[in-house]
Amino acid sequence: MEQARVVLDRLRANMRETIRGKDGVIDLVLTGLAAGGHVLLEDLPGVGKTTLAYSLARSMDCAFSRIQFTSDLLPGDVTGVAVYDETMRTFVFKPGPVFAHIVLADEINRATPKTQSALLEVMDRARVSVDGQTHAVGSPFMVFATQNPLDFEGTFPLPESQMDRFLLRLRMGYPDPADEREVLRRARGGYDAIALNPVASREEVLELQALVGEVFVEDTVLDYILRLVGATRAEAEFRHGVSVRAGVALRQAAQARALVAGRDFVLPEDVAALAPFVFAHRLAPLRPSGDPAEDTRAVEAALRRILAAVARPE
Amino acid sequence: MSRNALRPRLDPADLPPLRWLLGGVLSLLGISTVLYTDVDAGLLMPFAAVVTLAVLLRPRLPSRVPQVVHTLAFPVILGCFALDLWLDLELLPSLVRLDILLLAYRNLGYRGRREDLQLIVLGLFLVIVAGVLSVSPTFAVHLLLYGACALGLLLVLTLEAGGGPPEGTGVTDVRSVPAWVRQGGWRARFRRWFAVLDARFALLGGAAFVLLVAGTTLVFLALPRFQLESGLFLNRVITKKAKSGFSDSVQLGEVSAIQLDQGVALTVDVDDPAAVPPDLYWRMIVLDEYVDGTFRLSSALRSQFGPERLAAQQPGEGRGGDARTTAWTLYLEAGVGRHLPLLGPFERLRFRERQTFRASAPLALVALREDPVAMLAFRVDGFCPGLVLPDPAFLARWERRERGPEPGAPLQAALPGSVRDRILLRQVVEELGGSAGGAADFARRTSAWLRDRHGYSLAPVIPPGAGDPVVRWLKSREAGHCELFAGSFVLLARAAGFPARLVTGFRGGSWNGYSNSLTVRNSDAHAWAELFDEAAGGWRRVDPLASPVADAGAGPEVAAAVAAQPDRSWEARWDSLRVFWYRRIVSFDQRSQVESARGLLSAAAAWFREGREAARASFGRAAAWWQAPWDAGRLVGAGGVAVGVLLLVLFWRRFRWDFRRGSGRMGREAAVRREAGRWLGRLAPVAAEDPERAAVVAQLERLRFGAAASWPDPAASFLRARRLRRPPTRPARFNRS
Repeated sequence: MEQARVVLDRLRANMRETIRGKDGVIDLVLTGLAAGGHVLLEDLPGVGKTTLAYSLARSMDCAFSRIQFTSDLLPGDVTGVAVYDETMRTFVFKPGPVFAHIVLADEINRATPKTQSALLEVMDRARVSVDGQTHAVGSPFMVFATQNPLDFEGTFPLPESQMDRFLLRLRMGYPDPADEREVLRRARGGYDAIALNPVASREEVLELQALVGEVFVEDTVLDYILRLVGATRAEAEFRHGVSVRAGVALRQAAQARALVAGRDFVLPEDVAALAPFVFAHRLAPLRPSGDPAEDTRAVEAALRRILAAVARPE
Repeated sequence: MSRNALRPRLDPADLPPLRWLLGGVLSLLGISTVLYTDVDAGLLMPFAAVVTLAVLLRPRLPSRVPQVVHTLAFPVILGCFALDLWLDLELLPSLVRLDILLLAYRNLGYRGRREDLQLIVLGLFLVIVAGVLSVSPTFAVHLLLYGACALGLLLVLTLEAGGGPPEGTGVTDVRSVPAWVRQGGWRARFRRWFAVLDARFALLGGAAFVLLVAGTTLVFLALPRFQLESGLFLNRVITKKAKSGFSDSVQLGEVSAIQLDQGVALTVDVDDPAAVPPDLYWRMIVLDEYVDGTFRLSSALRSQFGPERLAAQQPGEGRGGDARTTAWTLYLEAGVGRHLPLLGPFERLRFRERQTFRASAPLALVALREDPVAMLAFRVDGFCPGLVLPDPAFLARWERRERGPEPGAPLQAALPGSVRDRILLRQVVEELGGSAGGAADFARRTSAWLRDRHGYSLAPVIPPGAGDPVVRWLKSREAGHCELFAGSFVLLARAAGFPARLVTGFRGGSWNGYSNSLTVRNSDAHAWAELFDEAAGGWRRVDPLASPVADAGAGPEVAAAVAAQPDRSWEARWDSLRVFWYRRIVSFDQRSQVESARGLLSAAAAWFREGREAARASFGRAAAWWQAPWDAGRLVGAGGVAVGVLLLVLFWRRFRWDFRRGSGRMGREAAVRREAGRWLGRLAPVAAEDPERAAVVAQLERLRFGAAASWPDPAASFLRARRLRRPPTRPARFNRS
């Protein structure tokens, strides 16, 4: 537990070097990393989504790749393809950019649904099946996807099955004026200029993820998660409730948050704090307004109401 | 991860199904009250009950009810009510049927707060109507159940309203399926309610309900007495009518049919149980006219009843033989008949409220104008139960019989019209030895002859053929019931020249060992004969089915036999509740009120005296012990006790959490978590600048939500928490520096 705290402190401090005034978002990203989940960053362009992903990737001694999703991107461009090797007279699998530890899927909603679906298996099972052959990707494996919620032109909304595979959906938000002034003061040289030393090895991250499973969840806290899940299913404003996977994800995320906070047990506050980030992207309003931002606001408002109504264990 | 059975909290989502359940139960309780009354709801009641039960068990059903039903409901129900009123011309039965219809309809949709309140009022109307009319002890149970359910429903409604103001316009969409309907079944819901049920809350609720009932009882005791039946508009039309009972005309087999019913017909409170004779014959009707198998009350005998009067009491001609007058309080159930069961002549008969009745002193009978609509209570002082009912007027007429028949005063000696039957009867009489030896001897001989010749059966076979059925049975050797025995005796007595008549009523009764009262059931219904005994100057009771000892009357040594054999069966327990109900609730008049108040006062004074004496004695002993000379032994003893108590307290405070074992609901783990949760609630929120408080809260959080293996010492943690909450005992008033 102590070792985990040290690793997390190092990662947190390292990321703060690049991301100013966003300690909450950094903790949530670390939560997602510790829980072994994938993170969807949804916000306006230019608020630091990609920088956040870069800073995390560079803080760890892990393989990192970036895929810029566009409408002409093909599934093979993501997962890799089998090509014919003249010298060996056989097909050889050429791994795609998904074979890394941290994968930044930038502007993920710009790819066609077919290409988006290429990520389904790898996000769920951490492996890729091509031509009947299964290839494991790196471990740890984390997809860091970004998308712009306001951009409609040339985008394809992610299907529900895809959304369900993201552990958390985060929003960066604008920084405070003081932090923004600091950003303005600094010289900027693109993402390649982010100079961060790796502070956590691959093994340390894997140990961190293994430790999350040992964080204790008391039965009444589990009941609380169940009540929240049930409340989303009973809520008349939602088209459907959250899946079983969402309940499991909330428990994992709460365990990871407890670890990030230096605890070996989960508090109801962990569950309540993470529920909007775990549930909101998995829910849809019963009567969509046509504006995704408006729908998201409606879903989040209903979730807030549910959180206020469902009694926490005392 | 260890299992922890810490109780979950009640969630607002748990309340709507509970409200649904309570509403359904209330409706069923309301609808079932119709069983007490005689309202014609033969189809409506089962229909409403089935609808309510089906909807209660399958809450999804209302969503399948077409919208057209709700659209047309109001005009259709109104139309049904108007039609019902037009056809029946009785307001109350129509109102009851309308109420049942509304209850059924309210259950066909999803109810909101307003609909549930309507449900309570609708059900209450039915309960009150049935209760006031039936005044049965079952009603008390019904009312208690209804009260508990209604209070529960109101509590749930209040709890739901406490969650926030009602949304929308307050109008409930009866077809909009609530969320809880889609989740789980009743088994899961009951499990959930059981899980969240706090024993303290249940106890508190139960105690509050008991207090409420006790308070209501006190108010009942203190209120001035008034007759509810007379004060309300409810009429007899709606009340349960007699299913069976005694009337002025008895056909063969009618009394035996009553015997098949095991229900209570009469309950009797006696001042002095020793005054209860062993041969109890409750006379109700005297039937002197006989035509072809049917005994009737002749118009001549009917004229012996006095004029009809509306009064609360009736003086009698009987004078109790005892040194003091024994009071008998009789509770006659509805449905037994309009004739009062009496043991014989009496000194005075008093009703609880004024009744319209006619009384006959020579017959020692009292008949109400109509069947009682509910239980009828009356008190008889100075019963003269005896083997012979004196009738000087008839004796005088009998002695004048040689002068010819007197108009309107038959001698109760008519025989069947058929000559053949008369000849047959006289042959039997001759075979028996005629009228020699007087009435008593004739009665003994004839009864013995009948008993020897015929067995007893509730399903007799009367041989087919011409002539009178009683005579046919008499000549046969078939078994028969009491009417055949008594009827045969009457005919034989008349053939022998004795005036005789049939009497119907009840024989015997059982002594309830719980309530110390006499219970007479419908199965005790009986028919016997009365034979005019010139020597005794009255009518001699003859029961051909009774043993010769009983027939001859009992001595004083047998007098207390009935009370000496108390019935202690479960049925008797229930009957004792009925008696309590009658004694203390229904017939609770001003005299009983004063008696109860006096009893309560004297009991309270006695308890107070005893408590004061006990306290004074304890204080005296303690003072004596303290004032006794103190030696070393006493000092060591007292000090040892004080130290022992102190150690015990310290030990308990330190190790109390270690005594509990296991992880169940009452185990150590659950207890520690519960205590930690309690302390967290008291200490939160934690101020950032208070590291001590933050450390304690962290420990408590670990105790509450952490793995048991990682816990700090619970006792020490709770002690730290207690110290944090304790205000500083000595506020720093002065700055010493």
